[in-house]
Amino acid sequence: MNYTKQIQEIATRLFSENKIDVFVGYRKNTYGDNQVPVLINSAEEVSKLMMDEKSSFNLTNYLKYEHTRNKRVGLIVKGCDSRALNLLITENQVKRENLYIIGICCEGVVDEKGEIAGNCTECVMPNAVVYDELLGSPQPVREYKPNAEVIELAAKSLEERAATFEEIFSNCIRCNACRHSCPMCYCAKCCIDQETSALFNGANTLPNATHALLTWSLHLAGRCVDCRNCEKACPMHLPLHLLHKQNEMVIYENFQQHLSGIEEKDPGAFYKYSLNDPDDFIM
Amino acid sequence: MSYQIYQTDKAGLAQFYENIIGKNETYAPVLNFEKYEYKKVSKLADCNPESPIVLTMSMKPLFFPKNSAILKYKESSEGTEIIPDAEDDLAKKRVVLGVKHCDARALQVLDKVYQWDYHDEDYRKRRENTLIISTRCEKAGAHCFCTSLDYDVENSDAYDVMVVKAADGNYYLQAHTDKGDAFLKENTGKLAANDGIEKIKEQYTAFAASFALKMNYEEVSKRLNEQFDSSEFENATSNCISCNTCSFICPTCHCFKISDEKIKDKGIRYKAYDSCNSPYFTLMAGGHNPRPVKYRRWRQRAMHKFVYYKERFDVNLCVGCGKCAISCPVNIHIFDVVNQVANKA
Repeated sequence: MNYTKQIQEIATRLFSENKIDVFVGYRKNTYGDNQVPVLINSAEEVSKLMMDEKSSFNLTNYLKYEHTRNKRVGLIVKGCDSRALNLLITENQVKRENLYIIGICCEGVVDEKGEIAGNCTECVMPNAVVYDELLGSPQPVREYKPNAEVIELAAKSLEERAATFEEIFSNCIRCNACRHSCPMCYCAKCCIDQETSALFNGANTLPNATHALLTWSLHLAGRCVDCRNCEKACPMHLPLHLLHKQNEMVIYENFQQHLSGIEEKDPGAFYKYSLNDPDDFIM
Repeated sequence: MSYQIYQTDKAGLAQFYENIIGKNETYAPVLNFEKYEYKKVSKLADCNPESPIVLTMSMKPLFFPKNSAILKYKESSEGTEIIPDAEDDLAKKRVVLGVKHCDARALQVLDKVYQWDYHDEDYRKRRENTLIISTRCEKAGAHCFCTSLDYDVENSDAYDVMVVKAADGNYYLQAHTDKGDAFLKENTGKLAANDGIEKIKEQYTAFAASFALKMNYEEVSKRLNEQFDSSEFENATSNCISCNTCSFICPTCHCFKISDEKIKDKGIRYKAYDSCNSPYFTLMAGGHNPRPVKYRRWRQRAMHKFVYYKERFDVNLCVGCGKCAISCPVNIHIFDVVNQVANKA
């Protein structure tokens, strides 16, 4: 999977036709193996761009920052990234007409160790679902299967499950990198930053960390696209996907096999009402 | 002043460590979620004093924990009563094994600010009661640039004892402070090595040659100071996502926030990490924010590390460990940022 040449050509064309103000892509990392996101403002810088199986970061995260706000943006999206983009468009966070989207038919990205990334092994949509231009040949779409770790965890006793999550939460340093790296987290003031509210404060006690991470994961329930930007960002290497995959499984099973962002104009599971929604918990 | 050097082999070193762990409260790098963190250990098998630098977190939490209760109180009809502090677990007499020299240097740097206008008693007690046994890195990491900064890596007194693995496979133990010298006298039964100093020098030369990143510190610091209004700050950090990991895991970042928690009649005041990369760091009552965009926050971070702290305390705040770049999800390295700004014509 190497689209460096095509992407450089497209970016050059977009700048010369004056279709975009900024291009969000990947450049080579001088220190490690994974490619680094880069923002490019002119055709002169296009030679920096590259794209291969090590380009794992979800670039739609950059649509919330000042460098791209209210500008015409060109960007690269893989299957999971395009699902996030679909949701951002649906949630009125970006205007589709301001974007020039290069979709990738993704064959899976590799992590820092060179192994295929965890989310790619269970990816349901490797091909970009929203794009202006599609690169690569479409990959087979896979059927949804719940995450093996989540199923394994769900089979354990309440105490064992509590202990697993307590270990995760007690290792959290509350830097909030998970939230900042998440493309779906764009609130101007996040509820977990409300330092003076009765519910949250800035201290890093176990109840606080638990509260913050659980609230965060619930706000992403039915919206998480499993790009795992949060895990890539977490300096403590916490397995945050356990929270999201658990939510994803519950939502898939209970809300008409909902998978976030696959269909255009499809809001998250909690934003639409259907007569088939489960109501057995009411009566 | 030069101290006695002791020589030992791999088994002898393991015995030396095992003795220390048996006799003292000991902290060492322990594997936790695929990286090493400094934790209390009860046997050598649980830890790895030779943990690779790229996978080892800083030991800052042993002196400045991620969260600490600094005040507890109780309210009643008679008034407010302060509840005395419980015994500080981190202030007990202890030994830390396997410390990287940059991490030890970071404490020397922090001493300046913690013993400045306000004397942090908690920090002082933790610092005084800690003996640091450092393991010299065999090879520089891809992000390391400690040898380019304003301190002497080879003859630093930031740590008490230095363990060096020489090219011949033997280990040489050298004290760098009086405290370390006394400790070694007490804890090693091995013969002194006469040729130790050459072996240690040899190892250092090989280590110093393995650095990929080098810069002219004086020049960069001076140039940076003149470049406050440079647009390069914006160019160098445009892909930052303001996620704060750099400052949370930095061994010398020391900003904190205070939060009050009150449940019924009991209250606790907490001190926890904060970061100048967060948009809320400088947000004032009334809504004004002097650093509303990320390049201004990054400028503050870079200038504090390389200019302001040096002006005030005459030491550089950055110790060149590269931990910020390792943890950064988009691999922005402060080395690149300061060099890019300083080298801009």
